[in-house]
Amino acid sequence: MKRVGKPVFFIVALAIVLLSLLSVFGISTEYADKKNVYIKGASDIRLGIDIRGGVDVTFTPPEGVDATREQMASAEAVIQNRLVSLNITDSEVYTDYNNQRIIVRFPWKEDEADFNPEEAIKELGTTARLTFREGIGTDESGTPTGEIILEGKDVESATAGYVTTNSGTQQYVVSLKLYDSGKEKFAEATTRLAGTTTPISIWMDDTLISYPQVDEAITNGEAQISGNFTAQTATELASRINAGALPFALETENFRTIDPTLGSGALDAMLLAGVLALVLVCAFMIFKYRLPAVTACIALIGQIAGTIAATSGFFPFVSSFTLTLPGIAGIILAIGMGVDANIIAAERIKEEIRLGKTVDTSVRNGFKKAFSAVLDGNITIIIVAIVLLGAFGPPGSFFSTILSPVFFMFGPSASGSIYSFGYTLLVGVILNFIMGVGASQLMLKSISRFKCFRNPWLYGGKRGEKE
Amino acid sequence: MKDFDFIGHRKIFFTISLVLIGVILLAAIFFGVELDIQFKGGAIAEYTYTGELDENSVQSTAEAAIGRQVSVQKTQDMADGSSSIVITLASDAGLNVEDQEKLTSALQEAYADNSIHLLSVDSVEPTMGREFLMKSLLAVALASLLIVIYVAIRFRKIGGMSAGVMAVVALIHDVIMVFGVFVILRIPLNNNFMAVAITIIGYSVNDTIVIYDRIRENERLYRNKLSFHELVNKSIHQSFTRSLNTSITTVLAMLCVAVVAVVAGVDSIVSFAIPMIVGLVSGFYSTVFIANPLYVMWQDHKSKKRLAEKSAK
Repeated sequence: MKRVGKPVFFIVALAIVLLSLLSVFGISTEYADKKNVYIKGASDIRLGIDIRGGVDVTFTPPEGVDATREQMASAEAVIQNRLVSLNITDSEVYTDYNNQRIIVRFPWKEDEADFNPEEAIKELGTTARLTFREGIGTDESGTPTGEIILEGKDVESATAGYVTTNSGTQQYVVSLKLYDSGKEKFAEATTRLAGTTTPISIWMDDTLISYPQVDEAITNGEAQISGNFTAQTATELASRINAGALPFALETENFRTIDPTLGSGALDAMLLAGVLALVLVCAFMIFKYRLPAVTACIALIGQIAGTIAATSGFFPFVSSFTLTLPGIAGIILAIGMGVDANIIAAERIKEEIRLGKTVDTSVRNGFKKAFSAVLDGNITIIIVAIVLLGAFGPPGSFFSTILSPVFFMFGPSASGSIYSFGYTLLVGVILNFIMGVGASQLMLKSISRFKCFRNPWLYGGKRGEKE
Repeated sequence: MKDFDFIGHRKIFFTISLVLIGVILLAAIFFGVELDIQFKGGAIAEYTYTGELDENSVQSTAEAAIGRQVSVQKTQDMADGSSSIVITLASDAGLNVEDQEKLTSALQEAYADNSIHLLSVDSVEPTMGREFLMKSLLAVALASLLIVIYVAIRFRKIGGMSAGVMAVVALIHDVIMVFGVFVILRIPLNNNFMAVAITIIGYSVNDTIVIYDRIRENERLYRNKLSFHELVNKSIHQSFTRSLNTSITTVLAMLCVAVVAVVAGVDSIVSFAIPMIVGLVSGFYSTVFIANPLYVMWQDHKSKKRLAEKSAK
């Protein structure tokens, strides 16, 4: 077998140090109050509402209302729209079509002392006020002033579609169908505005969502809005118009609000616990296993850094993940569990050394013999983590989709904090293969080639033994 | 310690476990098993305040405001000494946002000098709570099932199914211990319980697997030289240090979390970390002292039966 070169130890250790520094601090520049993030660091991690306070609410249609898929999509569109107008940019919205639920989580707005979460919840849940108005004028406060032509109750449906125009080109359009109540009003307005430059503007609450020009009078209550639509924008506009025509308001029996003061100390406490755990575990390991433990501890730091990176969205292929208190507990738990691979290997190395084998053989055999036990053990934890992710994950997430044959009759979880635990546990275990098994093995094989590190005592042999 | 016969002393260990399980069951019967509002539905609101507040007076103010029965409890934060009142709605029905606002404003009006401030509200509709409970239990069942299948496939050579079944006995043992922590500390069963139970299922089996792995290896080395009893005993001895040390590092890590969480008053983590520690310790214990002795008993029983059948012919 090819031997691992001496410089390998330094290369691997340096790589781990670099990864740690980058994943914690990230790379960003601050220029005139504008922060540009090139590589996301620990401070860019999206923290759960149990840490920074916020609202977790589940909206449902009222009892007895069986909402269609389209209506749920519209309801979601209303909520998305309102969140934006409330200036809440960092929200998570999940819609479960089967169980007719919309879960919304958003953090406490920073630097806003009198943020009223109850008001926000109420505002998110009420039916949107859809208006078609003449012109696009507003007053200073942004309230539309144009004369109202149609209201939500006049609109039967809006659908996105694909048509071929008279000139032969194909385009996406949004088709409107009006109730009789709206037909005449719309006919009157379009007759008057056809050919003029005054558009008919469409508003959801105080947000302008479209302002088509009127090409011709529309008297049969069926209109088409065309423009530079893509499939997505057409569907979006249709959903928004339908939202204004929703025959019900959303109800909220399930909600949770947390004041930011409640979780503010918790984050620091958990970070302290993490550092403490790392130091104690490393001290214990080095006391027990000497040199193999030193490389194990370097690898362990790499494992933690990797977990942080997988949470912050550091790697372009892993999207960022909300971190909750149980999520941090999962990282710490993985510290304890992660060294298991190294303990198994170190025990094996010690056994080999005590059988009188050379350092090289012992190290090689130790890792080789430990591998199947480490693999078995880690796979069980991966199974468990996947079940956790599937059972406690939001609708539409990868793991809840693959486990949906099992959990199909249940709605999404009432609490999102455990999901993060499953994630950090899973990432911790996978990284353990890379770091605890791979990196620490490379480092140990390399460092053991230095003369000063060839004393069998360093590998668990009895004192005074010579190779 | 070197020559300790784990299998021979099994009766002592079985007794310890049975007594503990008995105590937990008795506690469950006498204290009752409480479910968190996450699972049964209901609402809890917590307010911080300054100065003095009378619980009875708060109760009547709250009941007048929302027209439902409530119970009121004062608590003190260990970390910063601030006081808060916890208002729990008596029935399992959730609270709507309008009533929640009424409650807050009624309290702020009635106790204007106490600077009442809403800390957290948690309201769960009963049907959603029950559904979440069923889903969590199903998740525990699914995790167990997948683990049994995995162990059975992985260990065909060393009596796969029986090894798997014994591993499951051990993990049921561990889940009961975790359950015991919740019952004895009077923590209502919540999603932390489910998360810890599922994690311990994986951990406990992980531990057992490492020893089975050693048995498998030793079987190749010492086949026909040692009795099965001796073989397993030797395997336990060889992996004992590893099992112990892994348990120490894992418990150490969780202990840091538990201690810091208790001191800082992070309740949601206290009810996660302490049961986890007990589960980890139990996982170690059940692997070494329960699963393997049971496994040997099963295998001995089988070979005795085989012998009896042979001599009968």
